[in-house]
Order: sequence, then C-alpha cells, then structure tokens
Amino acid sequence: MKTIVLGVESTSHTFGIGMACLENNEPVILANERSVYVPERGGIHPREASLHHMREAPIVLKKALDKAGVGIEDVDAIAVALGPGLGPCLRVGATLARFLASYYSKPLVPVNHAVAHVEIGKLVNKLHDPLIVYVSGGNTLIAIQKMKRYRVLGETLDIPLGNLLDTFAREAGLAPPYIVEGRHQVDICADWGDEFIDLPYTVKGNDLSFSGLLTAALKMVRKARDRRQLGNVCLSIRETAFNMLVEVAERALALTRKKEVLLTGGVAANVYLNSKLDSMARLHDAAFYTIPREYAGDNGAMIAWTGLLAYLHGVVVEPEKAFVRQRWRIDEVDLPWLPE
Amino acid sequence: MASRVVYARGAEAVLYRIDYMGLPAILKIRVSKTYRHPVYDRLFRYRRTVVEGRVLSHLYLLGLRVPALYFIDPDNYYLVMEYIEGLRLSDHLDRLPVNTIESIAYDLGRQAGIMHSNTVYHGDFTVANVIVKDDKPYIIDFGLSGYSRDLEEYAIDIHLLMRSIEALYPSHVKLFMESFWSGYKSVVGEAKCRETMDRVRDVRLRGRYIEERLRRKIKRERYM
Repeated sequence: MKTIVLGVESTSHTFGIGMACLENNEPVILANERSVYVPERGGIHPREASLHHMREAPIVLKKALDKAGVGIEDVDAIAVALGPGLGPCLRVGATLARFLASYYSKPLVPVNHAVAHVEIGKLVNKLHDPLIVYVSGGNTLIAIQKMKRYRVLGETLDIPLGNLLDTFAREAGLAPPYIVEGRHQVDICADWGDEFIDLPYTVKGNDLSFSGLLTAALKMVRKARDRRQLGNVCLSIRETAFNMLVEVAERALALTRKKEVLLTGGVAANVYLNSKLDSMARLHDAAFYTIPREYAGDNGAMIAWTGLLAYLHGVVVEPEKAFVRQRWRIDEVDLPWLPE
Repeated sequence: MASRVVYARGAEAVLYRIDYMGLPAILKIRVSKTYRHPVYDRLFRYRRTVVEGRVLSHLYLLGLRVPALYFIDPDNYYLVMEYIEGLRLSDHLDRLPVNTIESIAYDLGRQAGIMHSNTVYHGDFTVANVIVKDDKPYIIDFGLSGYSRDLEEYAIDIHLLMRSIEALYPSHVKLFMESFWSGYKSVVGEAKCRETMDRVRDVRLRGRYIEERLRRKIKRERYM
C-alpha cells in the first residue's frame, strides 16, 4: 500500500511544492522544492510576490516531480495551503492545485498552513503530544493538541515575532537582505552591542504584545550614535522579545506539564531562541525539539505531509468550493488524526 | 522563616508556606532563569518584585481583598505576604450556588473597578488568581501587574477574566459577567463602564476572534 500526495505552498514569500509518501506505514518526503521571492527593498509586496509565484510555479512543480521520480498520474491527491496567508499569494497556489485536481481527476485536500508547520515538526522529531511554540513572520502562538484540534494557549495580540524582527531590521536600515549566511540581521547587529537597554516587556496573561517594543526600539535606534549603540538596541530587542516568548511558553508548560517542547516555524531557525527554549525546557524536565532549517521556513513538504494525513482520514474538498481563507486560524480546523 | 514547605511552584516563582512572626504567610521567591541573560535576569526579577510589592500594599491600603504585604527584599527577589486560606475560584466555580456566584462576581467587579480607578492593572486577571474565602473573593498574584492610565490595560484584565471562565465554565459566563459588570459599574460609573465594555469587545475582536470581525465588516458594507 503506497499513497503519494503532492503539496502546494504559496501563503507568503515562498512558492513550494512538496511530495510526501506513505509506504507500509513508513512516511517519506520525496521532494521539497521551492522558490523564494526576495524583495529588492522594503518588505513583501503581496502583488509582486504573487507575480513571482506565477512565474515560478510550473518550474518548481516540474523540479519536484523530477526529484521524486513520480509522474503526476501516480499522485493520489493534491494538497494545498488555503490559508492563513496573503490573499494574492494564496490564490496562485489554490489556482494551480484546483487545476491539477480537476484536470487529472485527483482529490483536492485543503490544508491549514499553521497546522502543517506543526505536523512537519512532529514528523521529523517523532513526537506525539508536544507543547507547540510556533513562531514565524505571520504567526506567534503557543498551542497544545486537545480533542482533535490544536488549542491556542497564548498568542500575540498584535504583530508576530518574525514580523517584529524583520520590521525592526528594515526600519533601522539593516535590511534587506534580512538573512545573511543563515543569520538574521538583528543577530548580526546584536554582536556589536554589550549593554542592555530597558525596553517595554509586555506579557498579558498568556498573550504577548510586541508593537510597543518595536516603537520603543526604533526610537532608541534614532538616538544611536555609533555601531555599539545600535548593537545595544539589537541585543536588547532580541533579549526582550525572546524572553517574553519563552516566559509565556514556560507558563504554558508549567500548566500543561507536557514532556516535550516543539519549536517550529520560520523563526525556529534562530540559534538564540533555540538555546533559550532548550534551557527553559530543562528547568521543567521536558525535552526540547526544534525543526531542521529546510522545514523551518515555509515549504511544500509540510503541506504534502499534512495533506497526506488529511487525505487518509477522508478530508477532501470540491475544487469549486476550495476558497482561500486569509485568516484561517489554527484552532478552527478539526483534525481527525489527532487523539480525543 | 526557619521551616519552609514548598507550597506551589509557578513558572517564575516558588511559593513557600511559612510562619512569619506568628502569622501564617507565603514566601514568594522569584527564581533565576538560565534562559535569560544574567544581567537582564537580575534586573527583571528585581523589577517584578518591586512592582508586585508596591501594588499589593497600595491595594491593601485601599481596602481591597488582597494578601497583606508583610515583608519585601527586592535585592534578593522575594516578598512575604499574608496566607489566604481558601479555594481557587477556578477549581470550584460550578459547585457554588447561583446567588454565591453572583455575589462573588459582583464583589470582584467592584474590586476591579477600584483597582482600575487607581490606575492599577492586574495583568493576569483569571479565575485561577481569585481565592474564595468565606464566600468572598480575594485577588492574588500581582506578578504581571503595573500602573497605567491606558483603558486598554483595564479592558485586557476583564478580557482575560472572561476568557478564563469561557475556557473552564462556559455555561457560567453570562451569569458571572452580568454581576461582574454591575459591580464594576457601581464603582466607576455608567459612562466609564460603557467605555470599558466597548474596549473589551474591541480586544475580543482582535486575534483569536478574527472571523467575528470579518463578519461584522461584511454586515456593515451591506448598508453602504
């Protein structure tokens, strides 16, 4: 028994195609190809990103099929991330997936992008019930699984963590490019500093707020006279933001007494955040797991894998009803493969 | 403070049940966290201890039902406060008779009104942080509290309270909140209460309730 699912990811700056296969209960990622839209200046322009996706879609699709050594006829289902994400970008992936599904008469499987980030993390680390810390440019949340859904215990009330770091780097004149040799500009700049500046630390119950921190840090940047002073601001914004997240995660861990902590999403590639969460987990005798870089940022493989799980549990949608949902929350999706 | 028994272990502090000069007391020590930078760690624990002590004594002097502050040593990140014997509201709300729930909610609303009128917000105002003793609510754990004149902070307090009841006792939300608001209104007055209620609704329409917001927008567009 062999099931192959092709996954389409296009929620934000990444257009990705992944292929996941389940053979004799053994999951395998056959392909994970992508093309990332990099803005020349500023942040992600949704229209520009979607034009990029349109240009790249056929190329990435072909690459993925070649890599997997599978013809489109051999695919059992087409999975697509229908949200949450940027409307114009989502529509590119949805259009491609709807076309593939109807042209080749394949079932179409709707996938929530946030759920996919969690499922791929659980797959590569072989986890069953972790405390989930999902941080990316568009999401910042702490969740657990309960009664066939992911339940949000805490989240950002305004901007996500990745957005905070990117916006700060951009407004401070450090980016783009946002990532250089695998390190974020804020991390690079933090090495220049050696002193802490008092910045707003906003934790409300189990929720976070980063917008005040961003404003205050940018005010400090305007006052910075030299590289060291700019470094101090970077050091402080990173320390403050990460401590806020880790504190909320710690509260959730103390409350739920989970034995595993999983960090996933684009910001999971950050070395400092990893070490902070790792030492927090140790304090509570929990094991810490992170996500390999290739699956940290947006990718097609996670959509394919989650699509495979959904498809095996009969989750399919008619192509004419597969609408994109820009604000599709992780806790709105019933997931039949999760325990009660 | 000779004998120490660990009473509870929270995320940021350890609580000991102690005897302080003959009074039953709680010793709250903020522990160091390896995940924080050492400099930041000390600053952070110092600041939280100071704020908690200040808020506790301020509210106690206003006559609110909060633990009395007995002793504080911010340099060693600890404080000693009155031990309140009772059950957490989060553990037994549904086992209380309706009129007791109403009187507790009313009184909690009254206390929140006084707290907010004095520019204090709690920061973690959930039913887990309310202890019921002799059918009267006591507010505890001011670890995330602070001073602010921003209505937003007060609204978030009430939002957190409401969300915690929704999570634990969904069928009691309406009963509880109605009494809570009338207690709140009795202190802050009609206008301020209405303003706060509106802000609480705004807070709820952010983040977790986004679909609700979208629907509202679509409805409005229908009239345009």
